[in-house]
Amino acid sequence: MAEVNRLKIGPKEGVNYPIQVTYCGNCTMPIEYCEYYPDYDKCKQWLEKHLPTEFEKVKIGDNETPTGEEEKKRQKRGGKGIIKTKKKEEGPKQVCVSRAPRGKKKSVTVVTGLSTFDIDLKVAAKFFGQRFACGSSVTGDDEIVIQGDVKDDLFDVIPDKWPEIDEDLIEDLGDQKR
Amino acid sequence: MFKKFDEKESISGVLQLKSSVQKSIRSKILDSYPHLENYLDVILPKKDAFKIVKCHDHIEILINSAGEQQFFRQREGQWMPTLKLLHKYPFFLPMQQVDKGAIRFVLSGANIMCPGLTSPGAQMTEVQKDTIVAIMAEGKDHALAIGKTTLSTEDIAKINKGIGVENCHYLNDGLWQMKPVK
Repeated sequence: MAEVNRLKIGPKEGVNYPIQVTYCGNCTMPIEYCEYYPDYDKCKQWLEKHLPTEFEKVKIGDNETPTGEEEKKRQKRGGKGIIKTKKKEEGPKQVCVSRAPRGKKKSVTVVTGLSTFDIDLKVAAKFFGQRFACGSSVTGDDEIVIQGDVKDDLFDVIPDKWPEIDEDLIEDLGDQKR
Repeated sequence: MFKKFDEKESISGVLQLKSSVQKSIRSKILDSYPHLENYLDVILPKKDAFKIVKCHDHIEILINSAGEQQFFRQREGQWMPTLKLLHKYPFFLPMQQVDKGAIRFVLSGANIMCPGLTSPGAQMTEVQKDTIVAIMAEGKDHALAIGKTTLSTEDIAKINKGIGVENCHYLNDGLWQMKPVK
């Protein structure tokens, strides 16, 4: 019986390890578990966009299972069995750059909002430091301070390094007091 | 274990391991999972310097040099693989299959109850008490949780009540969500 063999321990013959599992971009689970995620619709959209072949399979599978009655019964249960979706904070996606004085004639550049684009701040700070040959550090929850006035350069460098950030999304806050 | 785990709050530090400690961890893992023998060099290369992430509740997570989570344990317990690793090498844990109805509860972190392991859609492979097992699901190819049996499979079938497998790590919990550690 195939079913019994399925659970057998030990490497299977004819299978190359490591196995590559496709994960859903929306719920991060293997795509076969998407249907148990509360935001299944979004998963479907993601599948349609990124893996059209898999999406077709899911669609066919959906038609086979008798929904209707079963679905209704399930909904009644509610309560504990429902996975809660993690709430992603969908704030305005924007990067702000400003200049702050440092001493009498020197200044530093403050960049905030990079983390709204899911950018690793540590990596970003290192990149800025290397790029401008200056000190650069993560100073707050979502703040990078670059030593030296490089504000104007940033408008070119940021969209260059992270294509998802458009130049229009970077706002210039001008000079700010420390 | 990782239900309330949060990447930012729960981590208290990252440690580089001494090579002697690395060796002992390797041998411990090999002891508990003999089927990994041919693959352990790929998972944890001998020359690789792996680190330990210390977290709250005495949880330790073993990461490789790329920062990917590989194994975890609580206190001095047994090392358990993360689901990402298990998906790649699904063969080295004994598997238990639960029926369809249980999937959504397991995915929200519930322990696996005996009836979910004995119903027609479910299947068990024989194991002792306190074994690390992979939880598979009816009609699905991949594991959805990793747990520790609280009863032997014989007892699960006999008693058929209460918790059969303690859920340690499941899809979309804190450890699953965790990004590679730098």
